[in-house]
Order: sequence, then C-alpha cells, then structure tokens
Amino acid sequence: MKPKYLLGLLVILGALGYMVFGGLGRNLVYFLTPSEYLQDQARYQNRPVRLGGLVKPGTVQYDKDRLELRFVLTDGVAEVPILHKGTPPGMFKEGQGVVVEGRFQGGVFQGTNLLVKHSETYQAPKAGWTPEEVRKLIEEAK
Amino acid sequence: MTPALLGNLSVSLALAFSLLGLALALLAYLQGDGRFLRGARALVLPAFLAALAAFLALEWALLAHDFSLAYVARNHSTKDPLWVTLVTPWAALEGSILLWGLLQTLYTLLASRKPLDPWRASLVLAVLYGIQVFFFGVMATIASPFQTLPNPPQDGVGPNPLLQNHWMMAVHPVLMYLGFVGLSVPYAYAVAAMVARRYQTWVEETRWWTLIAWGFLTAGKVAGMWWSYEVLGWGGYWAWDPVENASFVPWLLATAFLHTALVQQTRGAFKAWNFAFVTLAFAATVLGTFLTRSGVIQSVHAFAEGPVGPAFLGFFLLATGLGLGLLSRVSREVRDTALFHPFSREGALLLGAFFFAGWALVVVLGTFYPLLVEAFAKAKVSVGAPFFNQVSAPLGAGILLLMGVGPLLPWRRPRKEVFRNLYLLLSVLALGTLLGLLRGYTLGASLAVGLFLYNAAAIYLLAREGVLARVRAGLSPWGFLANRRRVGSLVVHFAVALMGLGIAFSQTYRLESEKTLYRGEAWEVGGVRLTFQGVRALDEGRRFAVEALLGTGRFGEVRPRLHFYPQMNSPLPAPKVIYTPGNDYYFLLMDFDREKGEWASIRLIVTPLVFWMWVAGALMALGTLYILWPVGRAEEARGVSPA
Repeated sequence: MKPKYLLGLLVILGALGYMVFGGLGRNLVYFLTPSEYLQDQARYQNRPVRLGGLVKPGTVQYDKDRLELRFVLTDGVAEVPILHKGTPPGMFKEGQGVVVEGRFQGGVFQGTNLLVKHSETYQAPKAGWTPEEVRKLIEEAK
Repeated sequence: MTPALLGNLSVSLALAFSLLGLALALLAYLQGDGRFLRGARALVLPAFLAALAAFLALEWALLAHDFSLAYVARNHSTKDPLWVTLVTPWAALEGSILLWGLLQTLYTLLASRKPLDPWRASLVLAVLYGIQVFFFGVMATIASPFQTLPNPPQDGVGPNPLLQNHWMMAVHPVLMYLGFVGLSVPYAYAVAAMVARRYQTWVEETRWWTLIAWGFLTAGKVAGMWWSYEVLGWGGYWAWDPVENASFVPWLLATAFLHTALVQQTRGAFKAWNFAFVTLAFAATVLGTFLTRSGVIQSVHAFAEGPVGPAFLGFFLLATGLGLGLLSRVSREVRDTALFHPFSREGALLLGAFFFAGWALVVVLGTFYPLLVEAFAKAKVSVGAPFFNQVSAPLGAGILLLMGVGPLLPWRRPRKEVFRNLYLLLSVLALGTLLGLLRGYTLGASLAVGLFLYNAAAIYLLAREGVLARVRAGLSPWGFLANRRRVGSLVVHFAVALMGLGIAFSQTYRLESEKTLYRGEAWEVGGVRLTFQGVRALDEGRRFAVEALLGTGRFGEVRPRLHFYPQMNSPLPAPKVIYTPGNDYYFLLMDFDREKGEWASIRLIVTPLVFWMWVAGALMALGTLYILWPVGRAEEARGVSPA
C-alpha cells in the first residue's frame, strides 16, 4: 500500500475512533439511586440519567387533564421530587420500584420515560434500609 | 409413548448421529478413505429426521396440553388460539434452540447433496456436524425442551403476551434463524478451503447460501422492525436495544461478506478478507444468541447464573478462533498480489465492506460498553440511542454514497467516461440536497433526499447502460431482465436508498401529542380532528380488551386498544396504525376512566414515510428472490453431473 492511502486510512480510523469514544462518553446514561445523585449533584446536572427508587407513599399526584405526574422517589435515605409528563404506566402505584429516565432541571427531575419494575416477588422496603439494599432490590425486581 | 419420551429420544438420537457423523467425517479426511465419507453422508438424513421428530414432539406436547413438560407449563395455556400454540416452540429459549438445531440439520442435508471433492466434502461435513453437536448437546444437557415437572399444573400461563399480540411474531424468529443458520454453510466451506488449501472456488460454490442467508436476515430484520412498530406501542421501529443490535451485527457482517465475495468470484481477489468476514458473520450469530439469552445484558452478574451463557460464549470463541486461526496460518498464501486502483469497483466494494464492518464494530462496542463499565468501574450505565444514531448517520450516508457510484466504476482502474457519469451523479446529489434545504428540511433530511435521488439516478444510468449494450448488439432490450444478478441487485440497491430516505425522515420529523379527552370532546392535532365517543370492553377469553372509539373523519372510526392479559400486571397497548403514503397516523389508548368511561387519554404519533420503509423491506426480499430463483435451479442441474 502506498503511504498516501495509509495516511487516508489512518485519518478515517482516527475520525471513527474520536466519534466512538467521544460519543460514548457523552451519551453514557448513568443508573443512580437518589442518594448517589445527591452526593454528586453537579456531575449529573443536565445530562440524561436513570434514577431508580421507590415511589414514596402519599406523594403521588396525577393531573389527567394536564397529563402531569408528580411524586417523590426515595431509596430510604434520600428523596428526589419527580415531574413526569404523560400517563402513569399500568403498574404504577405507591411503594412501587420504578426507574425514571430524564434529567435534572432546577431541583426537579424531569422524567421523559417511566419504567415500572414489575416482579411477582416484590417486597416493600423496611425502614432503615441502606441505599445499597434498595438498589439491589430494584435491580433484582426486574 | 409420551411427547417427553419421544422428544428426549429424538434429541439423543440427533446428538448421536451428529457425533458419529463428525467422527466419520474427520476420519474420512484424515484417512483419505471414501467409505468413511459415504458413512458421514448417510447420517445426514437420519439426523434431520431425528431433529424433526423432536420438533414435532414439542408441537405434540403443546397441542395435547401436556403440562408435565416444563416448557409447556411455562409457555402454553389451554386458552391459546391454535396459531399461537403452533408457534410457541420458538417463544422461549429451549424451543428456539430446538428450531435452530432442526434448521441446521436441514441445511446440512441440503448442503451435503452438492458434489465436492472428497477432502473438502469431509471437512464441510465435519464443521456442520460439529455445529449440530453443539446445539443438540446443549439441548440434551443444559437447555432441554423436554424437561419434565414432578407436579404438573392444570394450566399454564401461555407465551409472553407481547409475542401473541401480532401475527408477525410467528414469522420473524423463523426468518432470523433461517438467516443465521444459512451462514453456517459458507463458514463450513471457508474452513474446508483453508484446511484443504483450495482457496478460490468456495465463494462461488456457496453463493446461493450467502444470498439466501442475507435475504432471510434482511426479511427477518424488517419483520422485526414492523412488529416493534405495530406492537410495542411507542411508535418507533428501532430502539438500539441489545436484542436488536444482536441481530443487526450479523446482518452488517454478512452484507460486508456478500460484497467482498463478489470480488473473489469475478476477479479472484480479497481471499483473506472473505475468510475473515465469513468467520465474523457466522460467529456474530452465535454472539447475538449469547447476548440475548445469557442475561448478561441485564447485569454482568446474571451471566454466571445459567449455563447457557458460558456455553454460547465458548462456542463463539471456538468458531472465531477456528476461522481466524486457520486464516493466520494460511495468510501468506491468500494475500492479494494484483494491484487495484482505489477508485475502481474493487476499491468501492472493499471500502463499502469496511463501512459495514466498522459499523458492526461500533454497534458491538456500544452494546458491550455498559458491561465493561459495570465490570471495571462498578457503575451501572447504559449507552443511549443518541450514541448509535450519531455514529450510524455518517456510516449510513457513506454507504449510500458508495452504493451509487460503486457499480458504475469499472474493475481495476477508472476509465475516462466514468467521470462524466460521476459528475452527473454528484450534481444530482447536490441539487437534491439543495432542493431539500429550500423546502425547509434539516440538513440531514435534505442530504437523505439528495442521496436518494443520486442513487435513483445511478440505478437509471446502470439500467440504461445494460439496455443500450444489448440494443447495440442487435438483441432485444428486454433480455436485460435475464441478467438476474444485475437487475436483482439494482432492485435491492433502490430499496436500500428508499429505506435510507424513510429512516432519515421518520427519525427527523415526528409529531407526538397526548391529551385526555372527555366524551364528545374534539381534538385537532397533526391534521386530524379526533372526537372521543367512548370506550368499550370486550372479553376475548385469553385476554380482556378495552377499546376507545375515536371518530376521525378522514379515516372513519379508529379503535386503539389496551389488552389485559391475566399473566401480565400491566395492560399492553394495541395501537391502531393508519398508513398513508405521506404520513403514518399512530393512535394509542394510554389510560381511561375505569368507572364510567367518561374520559380517555389518547396519544397520536404522526411519522412521515414509514410506509415506504416496509415497501423497501419487501423490495429487498423480492430483489434477492429474483437473483436466487434461477441460480437455485442451475445449481441443482449442476448437481446431476458427477463432480
């Protein structure tokens, strides 16, 4: 192969590599619990994350005419207020393990996608659970 | 005789025949003795019949509601309609492996009928038998479809309701498996070619197999996209989900192989590339199954829980190692010696193959990256669809660019008259893009318009060239249609350009709106005037359905539904899709008043040009069929003559 083609190939490979690794870093969506988020808020401001936790009982407000769902997501230690635009999924209820995709904007987490972790063997969290245990519970209750 | 007994017996027999066949085929090669080869060939049919018996045993168990089988208890219910019962064998892991094994024995049977020199024939059979040993070995040990339960239930839960919601689910997996398994034959021939050191003819001999595998993979992918669009209720057809990626990667690599194989068939070059691509394409089918079936996607830690994941990973490493190991051994002998200009047909084909293979690499990286992060950084992440879209857009555009000009370039080096065509095409591209921009489309969408017109013009030039050449020679211009490879590939290329246009527009312009409507209330959105007239409940036996009655004027009454399955906690949406040549209207019932039916939340998604993507999918399949049809017969005819 002539050197000029080799150079062209290197340029293409370099561009591809930059695209891939630059793109991967920017589009990585972190899976967090509310405590993990609160420990390092600045890092996750305005970038897409998936927050996992439980719907805190007594905090659910759904306005069907404006299609706004508000609730508080908790992992037993930290709490985050959620605003989700759209209808709640069929299984959504208090005490349920959910994952919200979205981003933080001004102290409220704006959810764009709400996934309910459904499982037949789901247990309500006991008082005093550590975030690690809640996280495990959510991950297991797929 | 019970289904379990027949099934277990048949699986064991299929495994035994495959093991014996493998041993005989290896002996035939090592000893150079034709009697062993005849023995190995004779076992092809019994292995197929045993696999067929096992498959029928599973169907029998399902039809007879034999809940003593774990597979039936987990995936079947007496309430299932007949068509759902008949397709339940591929609704879960064990049955899918059985179907895969059955198709493998069928392809081995068909491939073994082709005359071939005894050395390569033994090796091809050995590889195909080896693959069968893996699948039937898995079935006989760690993933048996015929595992029995000590306390059978009275009734089961039925297959995953998502799979029952659309008839396409009966077709999509079979098409995918027909494609995956089809790649095993070129792979086996490639291994045989490298061991026997006869590097040239295998691509020509397996041309039919490569094309049929590609055709099935393409049809399977499009069918899966359609299913996702019509069933999953989010109004999209592609989410860069690991399961989608797992079947996209083999398609990309098979496409790369298809194009470099063309060069070896006509020019004798790219031997090493073909060995590499066919190995990677076949291995990717196994890797895909590993990804989707081992649970590794949910979490790295799920990997160790079942034995199926490690088994498929091991098989993947073995298949890759065998192909690439042999290639490194013979690399000196298959190196390309003839020079070619990068601006030639070969150059365009190789660059195109690099684009496809590079795309496959990027998709694999994006799919596995979360696993690496979880394993090493202990953080749980996912790679968002924007990443895949960002890297796919330039790669796809590059492929569309090459697709137009490539077939117009002559072999070896460019000729002067090519440049005239090229300037013409580039002006079409520029004008098309400008036209799009003037109409107010985004740069990406405008470029897609330009690329579509550019490809259409290139296809016109190619067809004209073919027809004119015949007229100059005093032949009927219609005879051009007899050049099936050329005509079929032009149809497929046109379909790819159309698909590109559909993808660009449906991804760029999408209107999504949701509103809660009260009975009698009208809603003007996306060019439709919706009137909510109430909800209706229907008991359909295996499920309970609620439908919203929506007056739309131009489309008449539209009834999107929610399906409530007893085995599911949450209802499944059954969207109603109205296709028009311009836009798709996708109606969804999101929520409703459970007490009085006074209100319902309705979502409408309007997406342009999706209809044309399904047309493009059908054209790709038809174009492939057009190429294949006579080649199949010609091969059969050749099969009659002694080798």
